[in-house]
Amino acid sequence: MSVTPGAAPRRVVLAEDSVLLREGLIRLLGEAGAEVVAAVADGPSLVRAVVEHRPDVAVVDVRMPPTHTDEGLRAAVEARRAVPTTAVLVLSQYVEVAYADELLADGAGGVGYLLKDRVAQVDQFLSALDDVVGGGTVLDPQVVAQLFARRRRDDPVRSLSPREREVLELIAEGHSNGAIARRLVVTPGAVEKHTQHIFAKLDLAPDEDQHRRVLATLAYLRS
Amino acid sequence: MTTSTAETPLPTGAPARQHRSWWRQLGVDSGYVLVGFPLAIAAFVLVVTLLAVGVGTLVIWVGLPLLTLTLLVARGLAAVERMRIPAVLRHDVPTPVYRRAAPEASLARRLVEPLRDPQCWLDVVHALVRMAVAIPAFVVVVTWWAVALGGLTSVAWDWSIPYGTDAQDVVLPEFLGLDDTRTSRVLTYTAVGLVSALLLPAVVRAAALLEAQLARALLTLRAGTQAELGRLSEGRDAAVAAEAVALRRLERDIHDGPQQRLVRLSMDLHRAQRMIDSDPDGARTTLAEAATMTRETLEELRALSRGIAPPVLADRGLAAALAAVAARSPVPVELAVELPTGQRLPPVVENSAYFLVSEALANVAKHTDATVARVTVVREDGRLRVEVEDDGPGGAVLAPGHGLAGLADRLFAVDGVLTVDSPRGGPTRLIGELPCP
Repeated sequence: MSVTPGAAPRRVVLAEDSVLLREGLIRLLGEAGAEVVAAVADGPSLVRAVVEHRPDVAVVDVRMPPTHTDEGLRAAVEARRAVPTTAVLVLSQYVEVAYADELLADGAGGVGYLLKDRVAQVDQFLSALDDVVGGGTVLDPQVVAQLFARRRRDDPVRSLSPREREVLELIAEGHSNGAIARRLVVTPGAVEKHTQHIFAKLDLAPDEDQHRRVLATLAYLRS
Repeated sequence: MTTSTAETPLPTGAPARQHRSWWRQLGVDSGYVLVGFPLAIAAFVLVVTLLAVGVGTLVIWVGLPLLTLTLLVARGLAAVERMRIPAVLRHDVPTPVYRRAAPEASLARRLVEPLRDPQCWLDVVHALVRMAVAIPAFVVVVTWWAVALGGLTSVAWDWSIPYGTDAQDVVLPEFLGLDDTRTSRVLTYTAVGLVSALLLPAVVRAAALLEAQLARALLTLRAGTQAELGRLSEGRDAAVAAEAVALRRLERDIHDGPQQRLVRLSMDLHRAQRMIDSDPDGARTTLAEAATMTRETLEELRALSRGIAPPVLADRGLAAALAAVAARSPVPVELAVELPTGQRLPPVVENSAYFLVSEALANVAKHTDATVARVTVVREDGRLRVEVEDDGPGGAVLAPGHGLAGLADRLFAVDGVLTVDSPRGGPTRLIGELPCP
């Protein structure tokens, strides 16, 4: 889903130090009907801009000056503490499970962590933006893949059927049952049945809240 | 004027001491052997006693501190010997680094620490075996001195010897078939004394050298190896550090350059795809921009790969690569490369020299307002000398963390030396010297 014309445009604060990407993102967001209220190039300015504009969402590059390490991530966490109503979508050249952990640490929804490459797939990027604004959680498939990669030997995940595994990955990425059904081209009822099986096999408490569901899944995968 | 140098430390000690006159060396050698005798006896007695008692009482634990004491005594004696031998060997000897317990280590740990040090045991071995050399050396030296001095002075004391009272007496001249007269005796003894005196410096030197070489082998060879290892690992550390810095910079360059461009490029292409029906003109503009972006990305990748391993250096050698660098430099460069045409240097030398010049010229362009730079490359005496001079304001220093320190590390890694001569007011001269077999 994209921003529906006529609805109030999403207000976005953008933090990206590369002029090239900043301009590209401003155009892209503009064309998608969002309003970029501020575009900044470093962490402290991001926090200031979020406090000032109280946007719907902040799109943040992890690596920014002066340290060029995880400036953006720390600024995003700080900005969210200051303005909890602002969703945060963090973009990164590389995805690290550790960064995702930090972002999810406060336990509230409305956060996303995506590989920069996903931005190019405009529809995916915009739908991720909508998800986090709606209070959901979005994780890059690569983060999820990393979590799946280091599985133990006697792992109940192995007892899942291929389809169930697919569904679990999509849950971890932050998709709702409806979204999963659309992706896999099955009925929502089928997805519902799969999730129940998965949660039973993994001994997880079934949960309707999308964000809590993601957290439970991640906690399980990380254990 | 600021001149700083990153020197490769000499592996062991200083250059040879200047030559002494033979009679001073004779004095030094004689003193060394004469003093060595009582020292050897004392060392043997002390160490054998302590060692025997120590080992004997090891079962009741008293032996442990005694053994440690033995080792410390041997170490003290070894230290004395190490101070004595440079005068004989005519060069300095390295001092070994003994194992040392951590400052917060327990008493037991401190007691055991010397026992685990091989050099300590070598000191003990020296204390035990030095007598085997010190005693013969002492006997030979004393005898030789006595014969030489006695023979030369026989004319003065011959009268005092009561000859002829005992028929059993046989004197040297009779062996030689001469009459046993006062004259023949004095002549023979003087001749013997003369020969001994002539040989004295050589004999004493041999005795002293024998004793000193034993000490050197047991007490300092290990330290020499340690020093060499230390130097090698320092060189390796510098190489690793330079490598790590270079890799991090490369990663940054890739991240800031081509990666961003490619992300933007694919972003633009997807945008164009979405716009193609609704806004064909917009799509066309975006596509044109994307084409430009592609070209720029390629440019950037080319520049980056030049930074890693310039193809021209690999294909055409140092002279051609330096000519290319000079041509790219915004500051005019006078290039003088005196290398035989068609002959290639070892790759590691070519790489280091190339990076020295390209970094130096980049620095000149970035940090100075020099109007001309001069690059000279000469190969002489198995070394390649690379010199980069500019007429900028000077004041460059080789401080840690400074860009030049990275260059110095890079040269150090290949056993080279970087010297920076940059007085305030200029000119600045960077001189790199690399071993080039």
